[in-house]
Amino acid sequence: MRGHAKTLMMTVAVATGALLPAATANAQPVDTARIEAGGANDWLTYHGSYKGYDFSGLDQINAGNVKDLQVAWTHIPGHSTRGLQSMPLVADGVLYYTGSYSRTFALDGATGKLIWSFLPELDDATVSRQTHSPYTRGLALGEGKAFVGSVDGRLFGLDAKTGKLLWETKLIDSAKLTVGFTGAPLYAKGMVIIGAQGGEWPYRGPIFGVDAATGAKKWEFDTTSGTDEAKKTWGNDTWRVGGGGGWMPGTYDSATNTVWWGTANPDPLYDWSGPDYKTTGARPGDNLYTSSVIALDIDTGKLKFYHQELPHDTWDFDSAPGEFVSIDRDGKQYMVHPNKSGFIFVYDRADAKVENVWPIVQNYNFVKGIDPKTGELIGRRDFTAGKQEGVLCPHISGGVSWNSGSYNPNTGLYYKIGNEWCMTLEVVKTTPVTEPQVQLNIGANFKIANPPSGEIYGHLDARDPITGEKKWEVRFPEPPMASVLSTAGNLVFVPDSRGTLHAYNAQTGAELWNHSDGVGHQGGIISYSAGGKQFIAVTAGFGGMASDDFGPTFGEPYKSMPRDEGILVVYSLK
Amino acid sequence: MKIQHALGAAAVLAALAAPAAADDQPSAPAKSTLDVDQLFATTCGFCHANAGRAAGKGPQLMNTARSDDFIRNRIKNGKEGAMPAFGRSFTDADIDRIIAYIRALKPQ
Repeated sequence: MRGHAKTLMMTVAVATGALLPAATANAQPVDTARIEAGGANDWLTYHGSYKGYDFSGLDQINAGNVKDLQVAWTHIPGHSTRGLQSMPLVADGVLYYTGSYSRTFALDGATGKLIWSFLPELDDATVSRQTHSPYTRGLALGEGKAFVGSVDGRLFGLDAKTGKLLWETKLIDSAKLTVGFTGAPLYAKGMVIIGAQGGEWPYRGPIFGVDAATGAKKWEFDTTSGTDEAKKTWGNDTWRVGGGGGWMPGTYDSATNTVWWGTANPDPLYDWSGPDYKTTGARPGDNLYTSSVIALDIDTGKLKFYHQELPHDTWDFDSAPGEFVSIDRDGKQYMVHPNKSGFIFVYDRADAKVENVWPIVQNYNFVKGIDPKTGELIGRRDFTAGKQEGVLCPHISGGVSWNSGSYNPNTGLYYKIGNEWCMTLEVVKTTPVTEPQVQLNIGANFKIANPPSGEIYGHLDARDPITGEKKWEVRFPEPPMASVLSTAGNLVFVPDSRGTLHAYNAQTGAELWNHSDGVGHQGGIISYSAGGKQFIAVTAGFGGMASDDFGPTFGEPYKSMPRDEGILVVYSLK
Repeated sequence: MKIQHALGAAAVLAALAAPAAADDQPSAPAKSTLDVDQLFATTCGFCHANAGRAAGKGPQLMNTARSDDFIRNRIKNGKEGAMPAFGRSFTDADIDRIIAYIRALKPQ
């Protein structure tokens, strides 16, 4: 195919001069131990450290002086198709971030001055045929390199000092399979781990382990067929077209040498089996390991243990989007993981045994509940073909979405966005299309709808992460689609969908400061230190699979909001 | 449903769409039997809500003022960051059926 041949020859990186900040002169390499420690000055991996806290230990900016926060510098990545959805990283005073089309930048964290950019040429023909494209939600750092995936199925290894391309590895035939990489990779123990996007396509959702030094693929775990046990849970060999991508980064637990990863829903999203889903319908059976958290040996990619959060998911409520939050309390080691359904699962970190399950949303009816002791779904709602009575809650965009929550070890609270919205649904029998290129397989027609409780809204909750006990809540007229940051300065930052960045008192939820970034947020937010000064960096730029519903649903300001724009805004004290 | 059946049906759709040719322009059988209702439930309806009857991520298609030529071009070539290009997937006859489906959409 013309596009494919072109892909093999291209990749043009523009690397500009290496004017390095003084802070990097004596920098230690970013390695597993350093990411695990998660030093307060840096933000070394997607969620800050492997603990998954999205928390900064810096307190120069605090509840007492946040009123003096102002824009220090900005950066425009250009060509921000579908906005700016990425989580920046910082190591030794250098800020790294990605924009759409895997455009990658290294900037002086104190001034915003460009150090280098990497602007790969992608397979335009493939990109033009993709639905969930061309955003790139982040990168990974390790061993003096920066790692970034592409929507046309490649993983790049760059020199972190110069942006020079050191290796690239084609992991997915995206021209055929449609899917590529939109999520950030994870670096740990000499490996780069990355998962294919989505559960909407008839694919097998691989998660890849790649040698960080050479780019060689070391292992691949197919989430619908990684074991014989899994294949037996897909009647009629439907695992071949089962979906289940691991489209957001997981984490690494050095105590068990384990990578934790969340997987997407099975394909088609909505099944017409009715209650007999184990034996009839589009994909008879539990459909392992979709909508699951899986634990893989980082060296081999072999499955060690797992928990399927939603057996035979027929609501598109992935396990892929949620962070993995490691919390030690009262002699127990927990892993907290939000599911897209709006239920938060609490696991024993040794074996993914369920310790508790609690809902962060008020409006759910896909089940009557989930047993907090076993994780078993109670009163599940399985559809037959045709129009469904009433509404299904939550909406397909989730009770929680892929925007990260934040755990603050000082307050002991987990700050997380919940979304109250539902949808009408007509389930339709479909067949997967795999030629000439795989297509989405939704299995339904649907439309966003108000929840039974009233109007659609979103809320920031401050809760105990283990018990779910709520301390306070702040409501938003539309669900915030961006990640949350909490800091040792007793602050919680929420970038909202209208484009306003809010700062709240972490103990009380009182709003202390806000500032408009001019366009909606749907990406990451971090804090770091450069030159002895604390900064808050947030990405702004709206448009994409969830946010494109906002204009028709909510009207202004979304109807008039610029789309396909992006800006990195960095704040510091006056 | 057996997978053989599922894949068989997929092959039917594929045959109606296009062979995996090197060229992006599919050969054009004179007649299409593309199941557009199912097509909306698998793919199009993800953005064009209620099977094209309401605005969602994509615009409402029912009662659209766009011309047939505009719709045909948009289906074939897409719109960057919004609408995928389906020129390789559908023949002209398929697209005629999709346009006919859109023109026939009524409120439910």
